Amino acid sequence: MEYVLEIENVSKFFHGLVAIDDLTIKVKPGQIYGIIGPNGAGKTTLFNCVTGIYTPEKGTIKYKGEDITGMQPHKIAQRGVLRTFQNIRLFKEMSVAENIIAGTHTKSKQKWYHSIVHTSAYKKDELKNWQKVEEIMEFFGLSKYADTPAGDLSYGNQRKIEMARALAADPEILILDEPAAGLNENETIELTNIILKIKKMGLGIMMIEHDMEMVMKLTDYITVINFGKEISQGLPEFVQDDPRVIEAYIGTDDEEDE
Amino acid sequence: MNKTTITAVAFMAIMAFFPFLVDSAWLSIGITFLVFAVVAFSQDIILGRAGIFNMGHAIFFGMGAYTTAILNVHFGMEIIYTLPFAIIIPVIFSILLAGPIIHLRGDYLLVATIGFNIIFEQVLSNDVFGLTGGPNGIFGIDVVRVFGYELFSDTSIYYIAFGLLLITLLIIRNLDNSKYGRALYYINKNEIAAKSMGINISYYKLFAFALGAAIAGAAGAVFAIQYSAVSPESFNFMQSVMFFAIVLVGGSASLPGIIIGTFVMFVLPELFTEFKESRYLIFGAAMVLTMILRPNGVWPAKFGNIPKFLKKKVAKQEEVK
Repeated sequence: MEYVLEIENVSKFFHGLVAIDDLTIKVKPGQIYGIIGPNGAGKTTLFNCVTGIYTPEKGTIKYKGEDITGMQPHKIAQRGVLRTFQNIRLFKEMSVAENIIAGTHTKSKQKWYHSIVHTSAYKKDELKNWQKVEEIMEFFGLSKYADTPAGDLSYGNQRKIEMARALAADPEILILDEPAAGLNENETIELTNIILKIKKMGLGIMMIEHDMEMVMKLTDYITVINFGKEISQGLPEFVQDDPRVIEAYIGTDDEEDE
Repeated sequence: MNKTTITAVAFMAIMAFFPFLVDSAWLSIGITFLVFAVVAFSQDIILGRAGIFNMGHAIFFGMGAYTTAILNVHFGMEIIYTLPFAIIIPVIFSILLAGPIIHLRGDYLLVATIGFNIIFEQVLSNDVFGLTGGPNGIFGIDVVRVFGYELFSDTSIYYIAFGLLLITLLIIRNLDNSKYGRALYYINKNEIAAKSMGINISYYKLFAFALGAAIAGAAGAVFAIQYSAVSPESFNFMQSVMFFAIVLVGGSASLPGIIIGTFVMFVLPELFTEFKESRYLIFGAAMVLTMILRPNGVWPAKFGNIPKFLKKKVAKQEEVK
């Protein structure tokens, strides 16, 4: 199987207005795929279509060859498509470890009666879940915050927790919505290194990012979107110099000047 | 041992010896307290943990009580054999009733559950199928017989209720340390994040309803045993409001909070009976003040329920610093 995620000719309308228009994007395992474009271009809408929050009106989305278009979000996540959010969505009052163990939900084999009676099968499964959390916290350098409420930590750490939570589910495709938004320079560098390490695990990563330095450093392939349409795609070096891309970013400024 | 553990042990010790310390009037208040605490804990699974605005919890409590009463009085079944039915029937109805409305947003679901509670009360007071006895309810429920012993004294009923409370607390502890229990918290704290982690929201919300209904039903059976009678007004909308308020005033998903809430709502009024109706004025004001001053309840829940080997790491890292 060549592609882990295939988005084919997908369109999404809101009240007749086009939010994304005929997009085709294919992500390979072990690849970091960047989605860039001006604000309001439809990038997050695309991610919401892939993760089932929205159902696209046209086109198909395939995960490992299986059609997942219009599936409910939890079913898509159960298959191995995990995401983070632009405006961080953590269980703020709960501790960091309790947040990350949420990622083990789909793999955990506990049945309903294990919430009433703790059998030996439960104990084995529960220990496995927490060991996974331990391993992931180590990877992200979050061990020292294990019992701290997630909402009390810095923005940078909260972004890490979100990513750790998604990674605890052993995803085959990880969808990152502006992972560096709101981070300072050091935090961005740290996060960039973490994402490179995640890439080495062999999963496909799709990310929206505005920090161009980070995009150039991380991505293997880029699609540029404006007004929901693809205006360019290719290797980072190509896209960077593409006149259509430069126009999309700077063109809007010209119009404002007039 | 920390403060909370000591408080909990002291509380349990007092409760265990309570029948030997008080007169019969107080013993009866003690039984009521235990039964209502169990119902409040069951509502806390639905409202406090899963965050579902269930304003009809008295339905499941009442269903348990009426099931025991009907099976015993009309069909002559021994009380002890009615117990499984008093648990299963509320569970079945909780799924049938909550199923069609489970996807509704908090406020809409709240109105729907009020509707269910009003219908339930009407069904009871109109003697549907000639089983519920109309507005006066059902009288003459038998005593509990176990292995030839008749458990008719208030003391024995107290220990039945106390046993039920201990089982309920054990279930809640096990729930909180399981995948299902955590899923309820995730749904409550951030539904979109929960969905995106692969959690089937409707399924887990229905699970919360079913578990809550099961425990409330068992409490209903003990309630029927205590009074050897059941009547519709014990399970009306106002009772549901009380169970709803206990959870929010005490503190969602907080064990001490629910105990305090039950004490304030059901036991304190008994202490001030000489003030008659005016006492409710004070409780009304107390509810308002709690919500303004302590919106998370008198004793809010604490998170950080993680295994020791992870906590040890935190301590080690701090030493290094």
